[in-house]
Amino acid sequence: MKLDGAIPLFLRLVVLAVLVLVPPIGLIAWSAFDQVEQAIAPELDGKALAVGHGLTEQVERAVGLGIPLDKLVGVEEFFAPTLDANPELRYLAVTDANGKVLFLRGAEREALQPHYRTTDYDLPADQLRAVIGDYVDLALPVEVKGIRLGMVHVGMDANFVHRRVMATLVDMGVVLAVALLLASEILLFVVAVNVSGPLRRARAMMARARRGDFTRLAGVGPLDEVGLFVRGLNAVVLRTDDLYRRLAAYIDEIKSAHFDAGAIERAGMIEGRINFQYRFAVGGEPKAVQERQAVDIRLALFLFTFAEELSRPFLPLYVHALPSPFPWLTPDMAMAVPIAVFMACVALGSPWAGAITGRLGSRPVFLLGLIPAVLGFVAAGFAHTVADMTLWRAFTGFGYAVVTMACQGYMSRAARDQGRAQSLGMFVGAVLTASVCGMALGGVLVERIGFRDVFFVSAALATLSGLLAWRLHEPREPAAPARPIMRDLLALMRNWRFAVLILFAAIPSKLALTGVVYFLVPVYLAKLGYGFGDIGRVLALYAVTVVVLSPLVARLADQTGWRAGLVALGGVIGGLGLLIPALGPGLPPMMLAVFCLGLAQGLSASPQLAAVPDICWIECRNFGQTSVLAQMRLLERIGSTAGPLLGAALVPAMGYAGAIAALGVGVLASALVFAVASFAYGSGPHIQSEERA
Amino acid sequence: MMARILRRLILALALLAVAAGGARADEGKAGAPHRPFRIYMALWRGWEGAAQGFKDYFANQGIPVELIVRDAAQDPSRLPEFVAEAKSLHVDLVFTWGTSVSLGMLGSGPHPDPAKYITDIPAVFAIVSQPVETGLVPNYRSSGRNITGTTYLVPVETQLNLIESYRPFKILGMVYNPLERNSLVAIDEIRRLGKAMDFTLLALPADVVDGKPSPASIPAKVAALKAGHADFLYIPPDTFLNVNRDILTAAALEQKLPSFAAAENPVVDSKAMFGGVYRYYTVGQLTALKAAQILMGGKKPANIPIDPPKRLSILINMPVVRSLGVYPPMKLLGLAEVVDPTAAK
Repeated sequence: MKLDGAIPLFLRLVVLAVLVLVPPIGLIAWSAFDQVEQAIAPELDGKALAVGHGLTEQVERAVGLGIPLDKLVGVEEFFAPTLDANPELRYLAVTDANGKVLFLRGAEREALQPHYRTTDYDLPADQLRAVIGDYVDLALPVEVKGIRLGMVHVGMDANFVHRRVMATLVDMGVVLAVALLLASEILLFVVAVNVSGPLRRARAMMARARRGDFTRLAGVGPLDEVGLFVRGLNAVVLRTDDLYRRLAAYIDEIKSAHFDAGAIERAGMIEGRINFQYRFAVGGEPKAVQERQAVDIRLALFLFTFAEELSRPFLPLYVHALPSPFPWLTPDMAMAVPIAVFMACVALGSPWAGAITGRLGSRPVFLLGLIPAVLGFVAAGFAHTVADMTLWRAFTGFGYAVVTMACQGYMSRAARDQGRAQSLGMFVGAVLTASVCGMALGGVLVERIGFRDVFFVSAALATLSGLLAWRLHEPREPAAPARPIMRDLLALMRNWRFAVLILFAAIPSKLALTGVVYFLVPVYLAKLGYGFGDIGRVLALYAVTVVVLSPLVARLADQTGWRAGLVALGGVIGGLGLLIPALGPGLPPMMLAVFCLGLAQGLSASPQLAAVPDICWIECRNFGQTSVLAQMRLLERIGSTAGPLLGAALVPAMGYAGAIAALGVGVLASALVFAVASFAYGSGPHIQSEERA
Repeated sequence: MMARILRRLILALALLAVAAGGARADEGKAGAPHRPFRIYMALWRGWEGAAQGFKDYFANQGIPVELIVRDAAQDPSRLPEFVAEAKSLHVDLVFTWGTSVSLGMLGSGPHPDPAKYITDIPAVFAIVSQPVETGLVPNYRSSGRNITGTTYLVPVETQLNLIESYRPFKILGMVYNPLERNSLVAIDEIRRLGKAMDFTLLALPADVVDGKPSPASIPAKVAALKAGHADFLYIPPDTFLNVNRDILTAAALEQKLPSFAAAENPVVDSKAMFGGVYRYYTVGQLTALKAAQILMGGKKPANIPIDPPKRLSILINMPVVRSLGVYPPMKLLGLAEVVDPTAAK
């Protein structure tokens, strides 16, 4: 994340925010942890006792009816529903007067039997509480006609509260991390708008003034310290301008008086000298410096992407919960279709969105895109069937394309003022940070407020992003000529090295992203019984890996020029990683696979982009590099759309882990083809196109 | 298996609650009547559970009724005088108990002779084991005439599932009356279900002496079932077996053969080990509900379907259980009504 001169200030503020927020929240959480454990434990004891009394009464009734305690029938089956209904209870048992285990469900006899023999059962009924390994054992006497015949044992999970509170702590940690990231985004925005932006403009003004150029002002900021300081500087320039005008008026007066030719000549010399050395605004007042910064729109982009990513951990499962009007769709396919349709709409909407951004400017296009996007969010919250859900995802997908292209357009035009690399980094940075936050928080949120309400939160966040975009100041610029898309596309695909890059690197990596991370992983983990919090954290791991790795790899690729190698390496790592879940179910293999995929994306994404100017420098010269990169994005989205569909098609035959592994094999094979093709022909400029040109 | 029965029972309880709620709603609509309804109760063998349930329903619902109770004391020749009396008293409704009384007073077929039977006074019947087969009504949805009523037999499949949930069995023993056509029909049905549930039926007919089934032959038949490795004795709701229930169940107990009865009496006042029944009392209450719908809700009897109560009663005879040592599973015991005359509760 590279910024302008305000980095030290911004970083210091972020560090400060972390220092101020984390220790007290950590402290509060930790003490709450203890208190909750202490407060809940007796409650659980009470509940277990109540359950135990109910069971004991039934046992006493049976024994009272003349059935010997050791001859009771179907006790384990009788215990089963109670154990199922109470997750904190681990086992239920009946022992005879000698402590011999007669009936037991939920634990190993060997683990309990030795303990029961040694327990002193002459204690009063309310003190028969013992800790056995990981269990807390409550014993309730079975008494018929005043004779104690045995015990009903209720085994509680000693770590139940601990585990539940830990899970809550992890959720809190996620929320805190997201809050910090959000805080840093807001800080970045505030610093840029209130401090670094005005100061940059003031610096630009002073630099001009130093060269004798008094035609520009630094613009008017808010009435804070920085704003007052900038106003002060503006006043100096305005005062200078004012003095110049007065001087010019005086010289005019001398010129028009005609009383002394020598004086007129000297005045003319002075005027000429002043106009040679200094520049002043021609038609009166100096104008404010107009400068666009990529960071202006970053927070709006961040919030909008954040809103979209919230539903990522649960979207397929929400769709699964809706009735499907298409009996011919397999359940997996029904879950995949809305994701694929979303991706297709993003792909198809982007070229058009790019074109109208060029014509109308970013601000109106951003706001225009919000209309279908927000409508899609709200309606998704009210969805009745898979069919209308798919339609609403299409709406949001289209809106997403429009909004992101508007932001990209804004940032790339800001790049003319600031440098291109920074602006692309800013865009990717905002989207990825929002992915991390959205996926992690979405999982936590959905567990607490439910599927439908998360979509309403998304709608609110997207609306908020619209308010931020509303207040953007955007200078009018001439419309960029729209380029015919299809012709360029065909020309590009005739460049077979570009085609290899697209088919064997860009498309497979997108396919793995949407097929595995967006679709198969959430569905598979949910089937394995993991909660949405866990799912969200696994998905966020992908984005975290990419965020951390991408800048490092970008630097490495630039320094070494070893681009094709990194792209191929990424494919190999990603492909191998996807084979891991086939080894066994559970969270760790899945996390490793997602981590590998993040690693692969981090390794290959920037080199893929960086390789384009080399591979198709003729096309870049003819169509413009931006256009070529846009074509590439469009083409790789074929992979995004196909990913969930392919995954869903593979599931019935191979299962979830099998489908993930199959996609992994595909990614691996593509990476190998790409490696062979690249190494065979080197990584220099594309000779054939060059010859043809 | 067990879970299925339990689910069915829970559903049944819920339905009963709904039915009770419906009845209350009916009452509220009609308001308090001016004079008590006059109901003519024709019984077959005295005042028992169904009659009590019928009477209690009105008392519990606060519906004033005047009951005119007549007992045929198992004598069919008295039924014509009941018909005449009910007509002359201009009662509001007639209640008939059992197959004989119902057929004798209400007739069969779509158009019974108005001179011999009650046709213009609405009537409800109870404790009729086969109302369709005997021609009392054409089907269970509607009588098509001025009567309705209740059935009281538990479906055979439910009975068999209940036995299975007590204790899995491979061979089901049964003694039957060879002169009773219905017994043969029941045997066919049990054999058919046995294929699906994986058990065989060992059915032995009682000896016929002088054209009548011989009660004295029952113990030998039960012993033969035991020798044939029967796991359970199944006691169908059959008049001959009901009358001779003491002989039958005592023989089973002697042979250490657990017995299941599809009727109340063998468990409640004899020595059958357990049973699954609709209790006569519950049947009587349901019959009264239908009567109230006719009297107060203004419903036509032809529009009220003929059905059994929703709640199955599981009866367990604890002295027999203790003596056999074949104990019921805890889940079943939790749902059962225990018959234990020796226990001081």
